[in-house]
Amino acid sequence: MNNLLYKEFKLAMHPTALIFLSLSAMMLIPNYPYYVTFFYTSLGIFFMCLSGRENNDIFYTMTLPVRKKDIVKSRFLFVVIIQIAQVLTAIPFAYLRSLYNLPGNLVGINANTAFFGLSFLMMGLFNFVFFIKYYSDPNKVGAAFGWGSLMMAIFMIIAETSAHVVPFMKDYLDTNDPNFIEYKLIVLVVGILFYGLLTFAAYKKSVASFEVLDL
Amino acid sequence: MSVLAVNNLCKKYDQFELDNVSFALEQGTITGFIGRNGAGKTTTLKSLLNFVHPDRGEILFFGKDFKASEFEIKQKIGFVTGGINYYPKKKIKTITATTRRFYENWDQQAYQLYMKRFELDENKTPDELSEGMKVKYSLVLALSHQAELLILDEPTSGLDPVSRDDLLDVFLGLLQAGITILFSTHITSDLDKCADNIIYIQKGKVLANSDMASFLAQYKVLEFSDEQLTDDLRSKLIGYKQTKHGYRALIKATDASHINENVTDADLEAIMIHMEKE
Repeated sequence: MNNLLYKEFKLAMHPTALIFLSLSAMMLIPNYPYYVTFFYTSLGIFFMCLSGRENNDIFYTMTLPVRKKDIVKSRFLFVVIIQIAQVLTAIPFAYLRSLYNLPGNLVGINANTAFFGLSFLMMGLFNFVFFIKYYSDPNKVGAAFGWGSLMMAIFMIIAETSAHVVPFMKDYLDTNDPNFIEYKLIVLVVGILFYGLLTFAAYKKSVASFEVLDL
Repeated sequence: MSVLAVNNLCKKYDQFELDNVSFALEQGTITGFIGRNGAGKTTTLKSLLNFVHPDRGEILFFGKDFKASEFEIKQKIGFVTGGINYYPKKKIKTITATTRRFYENWDQQAYQLYMKRFELDENKTPDELSEGMKVKYSLVLALSHQAELLILDEPTSGLDPVSRDDLLDVFLGLLQAGITILFSTHITSDLDKCADNIIYIQKGKVLANSDMASFLAQYKVLEFSDEQLTDDLRSKLIGYKQTKHGYRALIKATDASHINENVTDADLEAIMIHMEKE
């Protein structure tokens, strides 16, 4: 698995997957739909799968002494590493934003603990929709990203609108840390849990689809 | 024990079917796998390596089932297509640095030796290599992990005659090291120069599977004019076609034994052309 992961970073990774990590700094923008940062993470993952198709990555990897399911596993591991890296790099910028002598984010939810939980949930939903579609036919990576983007767009619209109209979201979750931190921590834990479950379910389904696929 | 044994391989598509493909390869031989475009050569080769899932059939590499021992088997084989078509913009040294990590028996000394022998520059990208050089780089990768079986899918397609001849010399050299080669091509003249055995596939069925000399000895090429074409002769002809001065057809050597004029030995190209015309 180490070798496959090395291949993911050395050959398969599209530079944008790393470059987009710098977009974590968008947490510094006083008023912004911060979920967009994690949309860029997904865009980097899409570019990687797209360039994989153009570079015949799957063909190359299939000629190596690896099992087919390990090809899927290494891609998921890479994606999880990148997504967690995006969250970890965003946290310091979110903290800096919280120090501004300004009101909280007027566009949507503040970049707080609950926001990161909801972001994990959004990335889990993307992984679930994108990878299940992608591994049913890796040549149609554009269609997979179309569905994945749609899922994220729906999530962002609902989540950001809720921050304005749903009382619990507005009064408890869309506040500066550490106010109502107990609720926010629950959202974070539940978000991480769902991220794990959705990504694992996507992995299992992807392995099954990819295993029977004729290349 | 055969290096590779394929028994009753079947795969059905909407428009095409591999129908009970069976053959075996012995160590230290070159086997030509011939057939026209779309005959099923690539589908067969892809089935061997699990790119394509056969509906039925058994595939044994070195006596072991591929699915059960995929990892171990892939360490001992090299799959070379007509030049590398992956990561064309990456430097060769980057591709090598990644590839070598996967092989337990990677021999860096052999790698450097073959790179030098084939005059390959590690700092170039595949896009900067000629088609012949791409095939040679694929071969270097296969030989550096000490592959015992090379599966070559049309390695000489797109090469000029000199590069093809050069590559065939390389293949012949590999035989002396005990390496087994399965060589799919539709350029039959390449096999005239180096193959020990022939597997001829037509519309997904193996039409012939024998050693090269016996296969060629089964057929003769007959040239004849309109006046010479009797009903009796017509019934014995295989795929006759018009030429500038009359007709030419393939005929079974046994049927040609009593004909003395205008009969020549058949080569692979003549056999394939007339068989496909039948």
